[in-house]
Amino acid sequence: MSGTFLPLLVVLLVIAAFMQGDFALTVIYLVVGALAAGMWWGRRALSQVQTKRQFPNHAFLGEQVKIHLRVQNKGWLPVPWLELRETLPVALVGPHGFQTVTNLGPRADTHFEYSVQARKRGYYPIGPLSVSTGDVLGLSDSLHVQTPSEALIVYPKIISLPSIEIPSHSPQGTLRHTLPLFEDPTRVFGKRGYTSGDSLRRIDWKSSASSGRLQVKLFEPSIALETCIILNLNADDYYYRTRIDSSELAIIIAASIANWIVEKKQMVGITVNGRDPILAGGKPQALTPRKGKPHLMRLLEVLARVETIDGSPLAPLLQRQRYQLAWGTTLIVITGTINQDGLDELHQARQSGQNPMLILASKDFADEAIRHRANIYGIPVYSITTERDLQIWTKESRRA
Amino acid sequence: MNKRSFSDSIANRKVFQAIGYTLVFLMLACGVMTLDILIYRALPSWHSGIIAALLLFIVIDRFYTHRHFASLTPLSREWALALGTQWILILVVSRFLLSYAEGIDSLRSDLLLFTRGNLIELITPEYVFSLLLALLFWYLTGQFLDLLDESGLNQELALQEEQVPGGLIPVHQRLVSLIFSLGIGLVIVAALTRVTIHAAASTDRFPGVEVSRVSGGEAGALLYFVFGLALLSLSRLMSLQIHWNQLRIPVTSPNLARQWGIYSIAFLLILAAIVSLLPAGDSLGFFAVLRMLLGFLMAVLVFLGQIIISLLFLLLSIPMRLFGRITLPISTVPPRLPTVPLEPVSSAAGGIPWALIKSILLWGALVVIVVFSLIQFVRQHEGLLAALRKSRMVNWLITAWQWLSNAAVKTGGSLSHGIAAGWQSLVARLERRRLLSRAGWINLRGLDPRRRIYFFYLAMLRRGAEKGLIRKPSQTPSEYALILEKELPSALEDIDSVTGAFIEARYSRRDVNASAANAVRAAWGRIRQALQKLPGPAKSNKR
Repeated sequence: MSGTFLPLLVVLLVIAAFMQGDFALTVIYLVVGALAAGMWWGRRALSQVQTKRQFPNHAFLGEQVKIHLRVQNKGWLPVPWLELRETLPVALVGPHGFQTVTNLGPRADTHFEYSVQARKRGYYPIGPLSVSTGDVLGLSDSLHVQTPSEALIVYPKIISLPSIEIPSHSPQGTLRHTLPLFEDPTRVFGKRGYTSGDSLRRIDWKSSASSGRLQVKLFEPSIALETCIILNLNADDYYYRTRIDSSELAIIIAASIANWIVEKKQMVGITVNGRDPILAGGKPQALTPRKGKPHLMRLLEVLARVETIDGSPLAPLLQRQRYQLAWGTTLIVITGTINQDGLDELHQARQSGQNPMLILASKDFADEAIRHRANIYGIPVYSITTERDLQIWTKESRRA
Repeated sequence: MNKRSFSDSIANRKVFQAIGYTLVFLMLACGVMTLDILIYRALPSWHSGIIAALLLFIVIDRFYTHRHFASLTPLSREWALALGTQWILILVVSRFLLSYAEGIDSLRSDLLLFTRGNLIELITPEYVFSLLLALLFWYLTGQFLDLLDESGLNQELALQEEQVPGGLIPVHQRLVSLIFSLGIGLVIVAALTRVTIHAAASTDRFPGVEVSRVSGGEAGALLYFVFGLALLSLSRLMSLQIHWNQLRIPVTSPNLARQWGIYSIAFLLILAAIVSLLPAGDSLGFFAVLRMLLGFLMAVLVFLGQIIISLLFLLLSIPMRLFGRITLPISTVPPRLPTVPLEPVSSAAGGIPWALIKSILLWGALVVIVVFSLIQFVRQHEGLLAALRKSRMVNWLITAWQWLSNAAVKTGGSLSHGIAAGWQSLVARLERRRLLSRAGWINLRGLDPRRRIYFFYLAMLRRGAEKGLIRKPSQTPSEYALILEKELPSALEDIDSVTGAFIEARYSRRDVNASAANAVRAAWGRIRQALQKLPGPAKSNKR
């Protein structure tokens, strides 16, 4: 507009000077006034517009998340047009995001509602919301402002596991176990007649008195399952062709096992060597073993956010965890593949009283070799390459 | 989702077309009026009214034939035929209108010349000038209509325009350029309408040139810009709608177009009102100008109607004359165009003070306009700013300006401190001598948050004292709060919060924000209500 505005102004000023003011000045007032007032209106209106987004910031896979957007004009100046364009993740909405045009009268507000589909686990920014407006004459450029984005966390898929076999050596827990070493005196499941060698502490005096024969209490063996899941998301440890699917499967396995353990009222923690997009260093937060649903939600949040990383081998991580975890803790390592250093670390963990368990979530040609070496070290190995394998594994565990 | 937006724009298209065409017609009518006045003043022997009518006729004809021309392929046979026919008609009609303006006998003689093939004799300077103006208005009308089509009246064309990759000037910008460019020309023409060149009469500055105070051309130029701005508003809406359609952005507001119209009209009216209030010398009033244009348009339309009726009478009278029976009354003089008020509506009445105020406002407005324009210019040319910063002279000027502004701020600060201190000491002296009573009110908005908290706490003390709960000089705020709480158990929390806030504001160095002061204000409001319910002086004070 400056292309013609300035010559017009110059001509008008010259005419105003020669004609002693008058209509040229009036035209100057009119044109400059229209430009200045238009600019002022646009800026003022935009500064008075407030937007507020409301939505549950956590969702499970498959859920529909409704987002309420409130747009409010706080001022007395009307907003002739307001273009709203929300930037939404393609994974949740497809190619068409939310965008609309409206206008707002003085101190008016309007509401919009749109939804996104939690199709894929992850940490998604909802926004930023781009708000554009301008004057009615179009003499000045449109004005834009962006409101900050907010995060939506989609939890990973959780497969309900009826039963799995996780080794543990921690006594005095709440899970039943077949080894009589871990008999729990608080869990009486029956009685039998006294035989020589039975401890006097085990005699049930009440039932002995009523039956007239010495009766001995039978205790149910139990274990405490304190588990630490180590999820390896080092990109090199996954076969490159199936890297995305395999790493996602590894996360699903980790989430499902963690869910199962928490349901059994046991303690579970997690350590991931991936990348967390919201943390400054990108290193995911390690969660020490704890019980309860709130802890599970924290754990799922970490699993929702993590991504694969390059150049972060598993062995040093295992080494660090080995020193930190208590005796008897079960160490579930979920990875694509594992090298000799990693297996050595797991062997060391076993030697120091922890219970390592290896889950391979990627089809690798070296599987058999790994399985063979792990068998030598006494480490159980499970190969799960699809979600169906996970179900089969649980059935096998139940049968076992 | 997008259907609604499309359907809205299609429903609005006819309304937009009607408004757009009306505005273009009014703008061009303003141009015609200004030109007409220039011709009338410069060449009184020419038939300015006829030329104006001819130009308006061409504008109307262009509106009517625009759709047909737009559907034809440029430079095709059909296009050339349509164009040729239109221009032959314009050539013939303009010639015979000019002849008719001279009288019926002149028309007859020109018709005779035409039938004999003496075409050269029909070409006069007035005719050539009229044709040049006709060509100009034919072209300008086409330009406006094409730009309106591209803005959104023609959906297909507008969508094509929207899809054009960046680099080309958007259609709205081109419309702005066209309106302003034509406006420059019109302003110059309007200025020329005020200049009358005489051989004898002269001013001191420009010998031979006389500048009249007011001419009707100014009204045309002014109104041209008003209608131009209205057209820009319409074009902006259409461009935006096309843009939203292109991006498939739905318009959720059902009455966006209607409210847009209301806002635009309100904006222009407010602007016109402000502009008419600003000092601009011997201005015409806004409504007087509008009335003038409407009068002019009515006169031109009546004139065109009379011409058509006269032509019909002429056609009928020719066979009648052959039989020598009836002669139909034919007017030989075209109707006169409305006269322009030669005296300004508003005079400089009001004396010297009013003239001084007007002068200050005038110069202030001019300075603001020039500064605003410069800022806009520099903002739009970022390279210029960078180049200026490199200049040593500019740097020196900036340094000097900074030094001056800093010095001014310091001086202003010390001056205001001095004045405030002097005033306070004066007030204190007068109060001591009981010459001046203490002001009974305090402007709360003028106080900072810390002082507002003092104020509310002191108000609580004062109101408490009125109810007999007087604070002893030995009592701390907390001790006094306990006494107050005993009497006002319903306001216990509020008393606590006001006292706590006062202690923090008075005895700590922490910043006190406005929200804390507002909270204290709310709490004080509740305490006051509770105090009002207390019947008379409380007993606790008498203990």
